[in-house]
Amino acid sequence: MTNVQHTRGTPAIIKKQGNKTLLITWEDGHVSPYSFRYLRQNCPCAGCIDEWTSAKTLNPGSIPLDLEGLKVEPVGGYGLSFSFSDQHATGIYHFDYLREICPCELCRKR
Amino acid sequence: MPVTEKEILAALSRIQDPDFHKDIVTLGFVDHIAVRDSKVGFEIVLPMPLFPVKEKMREEAAGIVKGLSGVSMVDVKMKSEVTGHAATDRAAIPGVKNIVAIGSGKGGVGKSTVSANLAVGLAKYGAKVGLVDGDIYGPTIPIMMGARTEELRQRDGRIIPIEAHGVKFMSMGFLATGNQPLIWRGPMAHKAVQESLLNVDWGPLDYLIVDMPPGTGDVHLTLVQTVALVGAVIVSTPQDVGLTISMKTFRMFEQTKVHPLGIIENMSYHICSHCGEREEIFGHGMVAQESERLKVPFLGEIPLDIAIRKYADQGMPIVIADPEAPSAKAYLEIIERLAAQISIRNYYSKPIQIIEEPEPNPKTFTV
Repeated sequence: MTNVQHTRGTPAIIKKQGNKTLLITWEDGHVSPYSFRYLRQNCPCAGCIDEWTSAKTLNPGSIPLDLEGLKVEPVGGYGLSFSFSDQHATGIYHFDYLREICPCELCRKR
Repeated sequence: MPVTEKEILAALSRIQDPDFHKDIVTLGFVDHIAVRDSKVGFEIVLPMPLFPVKEKMREEAAGIVKGLSGVSMVDVKMKSEVTGHAATDRAAIPGVKNIVAIGSGKGGVGKSTVSANLAVGLAKYGAKVGLVDGDIYGPTIPIMMGARTEELRQRDGRIIPIEAHGVKFMSMGFLATGNQPLIWRGPMAHKAVQESLLNVDWGPLDYLIVDMPPGTGDVHLTLVQTVALVGAVIVSTPQDVGLTISMKTFRMFEQTKVHPLGIIENMSYHICSHCGEREEIFGHGMVAQESERLKVPFLGEIPLDIAIRKYADQGMPIVIADPEAPSAKAYLEIIERLAAQISIRNYYSKPIQIIEEPEPNPKTFTV
């Protein structure tokens, strides 16, 4: 009943380590290490992405180096939202999207 | 020699659960085995309400154990403990085990009638059930539940749901005053959904049925963002045009990782109230075919029956108004399959853990 696509985008454990790092262990065993700064730079909300073209309107360089993640909240059963130290909290990060932007070396090479 | 617990379990493991296609021992349904001399007692705890059909399982279990050597009497107790959905370990509505969305592609397919009957039917078999009328633009659940004029009361700032036919229910229609039509934009619809889901004193519930507005829109989006649903049911008519649109609603649920629990074909055929002949007004078999193609369970078909409409208008869902009617029996089968699909979903889905470790504090002060 569970296909590959499904387990790929399904997290088993979501772990916020302090205010800098978020670790997601997926159902297929893969581990994605995100920095909260990286997550903030890839915010998918309508203020950071052009809704029609999907082009990023946020300048990633404008995000301060010491940006922190303060809170992790589940969104229904399909995603997460974060409260960042720059007061931004409007992005809904779909699990599939989080898997897609996995910053680990293996995924970046792909 | 008295029979051992091991022998009893071995015998009972020959009984297959018809929904899970696994034996009842592996599934962990057998509990509290007690042996005193030649008398044996045990419980079968099912993760769904005790529908009449489950009596078969009790008889089968009693028969098998009675056949063991050294057993003269068997006492089997059937119990129900509805299992809950655990998408994340932070439940949005504490005490509510399963939230089920009832959707449709287009309006007028009888979604609210179906929702009311599912809710009342589940309650009839002992489940604790809540019902939310999420159709902000055309709330009809209060009429079908026979409680259209009541005013909402509050306790500690939380809405007390209205109770009828053993079901606690809340209508978004209660939030609007008078006979004014609702011209709500996104943010208002969003607020109404949250209010009628989260700010209600539901108490413990096995199932919370949410009757959605037709199509895909603000209410749907808010619902899937606010709570983790155990799954969604789509109500469709046999007409292909209705079905194509229903599939769009399924896609929306799919995109937000809401599990498809099944499709119900409503207005499946008409039973003539004069001669009893069955007429397939909108054609037949399309929904079953489509659900097979999509690998989504087909939960069953409900006929067009004037009694359903008549009783609904009187505030009495047919499952309790006339349980012997063919349409009420069709409902019962659907309710059984739906409860089974929910328990299967809960059996296989694992909770998502969210762990928050505090920022390590590198500075310690010693004075």
